[in-house]
Amino acid sequence: MAAKGGGAPPTYSPSPSSFKKSRPSIFTDVDWVRPDGRDFHQCRPAFLRTGAVNAASGSAYAEFGNTKVIVSIFGPRESKKAMMYSDTGRLNCNVSYTTFATPVRGQASENKELSSQLHKSLEGAIILDTFPKTTVDVFALVLESGGCDLPVVISCASLALADAGIMMYDLVAAVSVSCLGKNLVIDPVSEEENYQDGSLMITCLPSRNEVTQLTITGEWSTPKIHEAMELCLDACSKLGKIMRSCLKESTSTS
Amino acid sequence: MVGLSIGEKHFIQGGIAQDLRTDGRNRLTYRPIIVESGVIAQANGSARVKMGRTEVIASVKAELGKPSSSAPDRGKVFIFIDCSPTAAPEFERRGGEELSTELSAALRQCLLGGKSGAGAGINLSSLSIVDGKVCWDLYIDGLVISMDGNILDALGAAIKAALSNTGIPKVNVASAAPSDEQPEVDVSDEEFLLFDTTAVPVIVTLTKVGRHYIVDATSEEESQMSSAVSISINRQGLICGLTKRGGAGLDPSVIFDMISVAKHVSEQLMNKLDSEIAAAEAMEEES
Repeated sequence: MAAKGGGAPPTYSPSPSSFKKSRPSIFTDVDWVRPDGRDFHQCRPAFLRTGAVNAASGSAYAEFGNTKVIVSIFGPRESKKAMMYSDTGRLNCNVSYTTFATPVRGQASENKELSSQLHKSLEGAIILDTFPKTTVDVFALVLESGGCDLPVVISCASLALADAGIMMYDLVAAVSVSCLGKNLVIDPVSEEENYQDGSLMITCLPSRNEVTQLTITGEWSTPKIHEAMELCLDACSKLGKIMRSCLKESTSTS
Repeated sequence: MVGLSIGEKHFIQGGIAQDLRTDGRNRLTYRPIIVESGVIAQANGSARVKMGRTEVIASVKAELGKPSSSAPDRGKVFIFIDCSPTAAPEFERRGGEELSTELSAALRQCLLGGKSGAGAGINLSSLSIVDGKVCWDLYIDGLVISMDGNILDALGAAIKAALSNTGIPKVNVASAAPSDEQPEVDVSDEEFLLFDTTAVPVIVTLTKVGRHYIVDATSEEESQMSSAVSISINRQGLICGLTKRGGAGLDPSVIFDMISVAKHVSEQLMNKLDSEIAAAEAMEEES
């Protein structure tokens, strides 16, 4: 499933919607052509690999186009002595960017907002009772930010958790959709994200068909939300299948 | 955090299932909302909102600033929420940081719209004074004084009321400024322009307890929730933002149902808030 340099990586492409061709262009006189030549409803090819970091209990590396993320899991390990006793496990998430991740060099800072969103997405999927009194640390590092960062971080983190052997109800797949004028564009790149009129991000458990997190910004009418959600759920189920095959392959080769 | 016995938990869940909550309300009824505006004299606009025992204060200050290079024709808005230790002892120092970040992020999402500015509750272009050089920086600060559930809705209402109360001073720009120098700007002390708040949305939080949704949950009811969805809806019935809280997963059909219920509830809430804000402004002018 995952390519190594040479051959074309498999794409997960949600079923192209037939009415996208009859939609008017987003700017009245310019037709939006995606910078990488994809269809509006086509996601970037996904490259996923587990076992990227030897020292960690589990780890995964994900590359979706230009967005490159590496996630390490440490744990379950002893909670800090200052924390109260708890008979369910604790999850500690941390998302940080490298200084060279963005086009303009930035501070290598931890992003508190993304960390808390990652936490909310994962806590619904992990069976916390299986590791009481301990903490599982999820450290995500965005090596290059090419758009759609948080969904890639979430998917990669759940793959890493599976690699670490943490018990979960299901893998977590995340996809986001950008609204550019009247068009819905799935898996936007950073250029499209800068022009977007609104965005919708879904995190779901594909086999259980449950949504663990949903974030909408911008102005949306209800039918548009329905359409965007169906698009995303379809893409999430395909991404779930790719994640599963990546895990199977890593166990069969090791 | 209030500790509940098993009997109390069953009582709350059973009551909600039968459309009769512990304080006698129906599932989709709000607590009485009290709005006072102009509570902080030094701010450009301020408001205090009480929903039952939840009390928040929002203040708006406008300062002159330089627009960012990526958006030279727009002003900037900064939203910060602070949870005061008077609300709960665990908020002392860094304890309230997590909740504050979550609330600030949710409010920023709801009020500032997409990156291109579409669907924003606050029109950022109206805050620009001189393109690329001078703009208004709006600092919206929320303070949580007392917590009894449903803080996000209360903060949304307080910010809406504070913005209605906000007066941006009139600015005279010295026209004879060379293009590469900072233009001289004269801020008037007397004349004010009222902010346009017709596009500011309201936030409705639907808390799912068992199989039913309630609106305006108290902190006891929130402790029993499986998940909560906060939806921000503007006057045209369009959704300006949505966040889901709580770890439990939700079926997509449940989310669609919540969205339609929220739209229905938001109309009443919007009308109620508008009348309360108008009454508060009238009272402020009298005093």
